[in-house]
Amino acid sequence: MENSSDRWKIDLEFDDRPSFNQTMGTGNIDESYSSRSELDELLVRVGRERDKAAFSALFSYFAPRLKSFLLRLGTDMQTAEELAQEAMIMVWRRAETFDPAQAGASTWIFTIARNKRIDRLRRDGRPLPDMTDPAIMPEQPETGDQAVSRREDEDKIKAALKKLPEEQAKMIFAAYYEEKSHREIAEDSGLPLGTVKSRIRLALSRLRRQIDEDER
Amino acid sequence: MNEQHMTYELIDALLLDYAAGSLTRPLEILVETHIALNAKSAKQLRQLMQLGGILLEEIEPVSLSEGAFDAVMAAIEATPSDLNDNRDMASETTESEFGLPRPLADYIPDLDCKKSWRRLGRGLSQYRILFDDVDIEANIYRIAPGVSVPVHSHEGTELTLVLAGGFSDETGSFGPGDIAIQESGATHQPVADDDGECIVFAINEGQIKLANPIGRVLSYLVG
Repeated sequence: MENSSDRWKIDLEFDDRPSFNQTMGTGNIDESYSSRSELDELLVRVGRERDKAAFSALFSYFAPRLKSFLLRLGTDMQTAEELAQEAMIMVWRRAETFDPAQAGASTWIFTIARNKRIDRLRRDGRPLPDMTDPAIMPEQPETGDQAVSRREDEDKIKAALKKLPEEQAKMIFAAYYEEKSHREIAEDSGLPLGTVKSRIRLALSRLRRQIDEDER
Repeated sequence: MNEQHMTYELIDALLLDYAAGSLTRPLEILVETHIALNAKSAKQLRQLMQLGGILLEEIEPVSLSEGAFDAVMAAIEATPSDLNDNRDMASETTESEFGLPRPLADYIPDLDCKKSWRRLGRGLSQYRILFDDVDIEANIYRIAPGVSVPVHSHEGTELTLVLAGGFSDETGSFGPGDIAIQESGATHQPVADDDGECIVFAINEGQIKLANPIGRVLSYLVG
């Protein structure tokens, strides 16, 4: 797998909130294929055996990332802490429904945190759709080994993302991790509004094209 | 701009905003209904959720407060382990009796009731969906085969998802699962296809301009 490159140092020039960690140093299990399956296995163990050691390992890996994710989206420190904890409690409670053939642990946990945040913003207690709802996430076509094909999918997406020029990749990050309007991004980055718009357009269409191409 | 292009961009932006969790509830429903009708978008949304997971792996961690893990374990142990939180496991069917895709049908219990519909003209009726705390207008329209809706313009940006049948206007032809966009102030005259009733779900950001009523990425395109 392609290793980290400098362009992935997304130093979002906008502010001093946590930046993306692209240096895969010791103890970092982000990057390697096998480690991603390890995360899946830990989550499966929590689901099947209520394994507290496995949960503790998941907690150390994900809780600080969830907190960072929430902070970037403009959640205040205390709420980010609470929501990260609530999301992890949900991870424990829902672990039984985790199916590595459908989603990786990171995607599954991202979805829980995403929903928790929306729930909190709306405060209406309305249940949110999630990855286990077939109406929202239709079944993938049956294959010999779904989990492997799903991981290959993730690798493709990651590769497509890395092929994007830096300024376009930043816009994708901003879409997920910045609670900012295009106007604010334009103001903060000093770019003309039209440039911000065309970058996001390009990023989206390139991402789509690259993922599509890899399929053929 | 090429019509096909605009549609792709619109759908890309909607799906990305959905994955990132930055849409209002009415637009979430529009997206959920769209992907129930369009397998390609369903797949793309799955990829964008995976992208969210990948980005989560990439983010620089921020330590939790001391004792956070113990607090979480205490909360877990305070609740019986067999009491799983599965309130939102949706039922397996994806269509209501009315034939609408599930996410939308669930939101509109009385769609079959005649009284819920307001007649706007010959062959054209409207069902208004009210959302709490969201200043967005959402309507379902039924247009009889071949009927031409009077020329009109919209105050805010309007997104129209075709649920059944199809229609054409100055910008193109739209079938089930397609999403048409009308920018604020634009004028159009939709005409329903001849071969069946056309049912659409339309969302309008309304008169009051919110900072980002239609999603962050989407606003990059139409803002």
